[in-house]
Amino acid sequence: TLLDPASTPWGSPLVPDDTGNRLRFQLELEFVQCLANPNYLNFLAQRGYFKDKAFVNYLKYLLYWKEPEYAKYLKYPQCLHMLELLQYEHFRKELVNAQCAKFIDEQQILHWQHYSRKRMRLQQALAEQQQQNNTSVK
Amino acid sequence: MMAAATGGGGERSSTRDRLLAALEDLELLARELIEILAISRNQKLPQPGEESQILGLLIQRDGEFQELMKLAVDQGKIHHEMQLLEKVVEKRDSDIQQLQKQLKEAEHILATAVYQAKEKLKSIEKARKGAISSEEIIKYAHRISASNAVCAPLTWVPGDPRRPYPTDLEMRSGLLGQMNNPSTNGVNGHLPGDALAAGRLPDVLAPQYPWQSSDMSMNMLPPNHSNDFMLEPPGHNKENEDDVEVMSTDSSSSSSDSD
Repeated sequence: TLLDPASTPWGSPLVPDDTGNRLRFQLELEFVQCLANPNYLNFLAQRGYFKDKAFVNYLKYLLYWKEPEYAKYLKYPQCLHMLELLQYEHFRKELVNAQCAKFIDEQQILHWQHYSRKRMRLQQALAEQQQQNNTSVK
Repeated sequence: MMAAATGGGGERSSTRDRLLAALEDLELLARELIEILAISRNQKLPQPGEESQILGLLIQRDGEFQELMKLAVDQGKIHHEMQLLEKVVEKRDSDIQQLQKQLKEAEHILATAVYQAKEKLKSIEKARKGAISSEEIIKYAHRISASNAVCAPLTWVPGDPRRPYPTDLEMRSGLLGQMNNPSTNGVNGHLPGDALAAGRLPDVLAPQYPWQSSDMSMNMLPPNHSNDFMLEPPGHNKENEDDVEVMSTDSSSSSSDSD
């Protein structure tokens, strides 16, 4: 089973001391990045979390990760795009469908491969050019 | 019989008309004189001295006529000068219009230049506001690329478990996962029955998952009153303002000095 968000920070009272803040930071950092995983989003949608007003407010609160001083800690900055989309009710509703999640997953992976493909094409083009240069130089 | 042309002014009739009138008078007077002389050859004059009267008038009219001629010549000269001056005025007018056109053009060009300069200044200001050291950007770029977070590994093929987002395993191995299932963590991150564990590549098993980022200072969270999530999304609560400190570029896990 995937992570059950019921036990995660927004259900617990605010801990005012340093360790509390540090912990909250790490937890929110982890959680916001989990939002990049469309399967997890599908999981959340199917369990009705997106219908909970408190949860939706929490998603809005998480938008602070867009600020540069916070964003620089994100290993998966793509999660911010998902977070932005999650602000829309229509998107949250759609995520209940497994095909929707699958589509997003596929598109994400394709996009992820974009730069590798581009680099390969560049390398190929370069190799071809070098071949031409070698054959034309006597 | 006599044309009523007074001297001076000439506002009532033009010089031309007056000249013509004088000529007519002269003609009439001349005719009358000749008639009287012709008659006086044959008969006695009904009115003695009439011919000298007419002659006098004739001479007077001739004098007026001569004066009118002089006047006409002067007027002609003045008219000629007027025409010259008018030409000069026309030329000046067209010069002024030309200058006006050029001024308008110049104003337009300057306005465009000023506008573009202002836009440029705006974008300079904007860029300055978002300025980040190139070192930081390079560090960050390296961080998200080297770990294959935003760019797929070059050897990736379908079937490779790596993904552009945290996978099941990564999520469970993180803090959130620890909170949920503290006792079922398995060995080396392998969870029992975890189908993904089979083909796991070595770097994923590393105990330090950098996406959880332990290298930071902790007093930088926006305030979070969890009860507020039931209500409208929170702004900054005044009582928690102290918790939020300005981030320095050097991140360290030192303890906080605010309260």
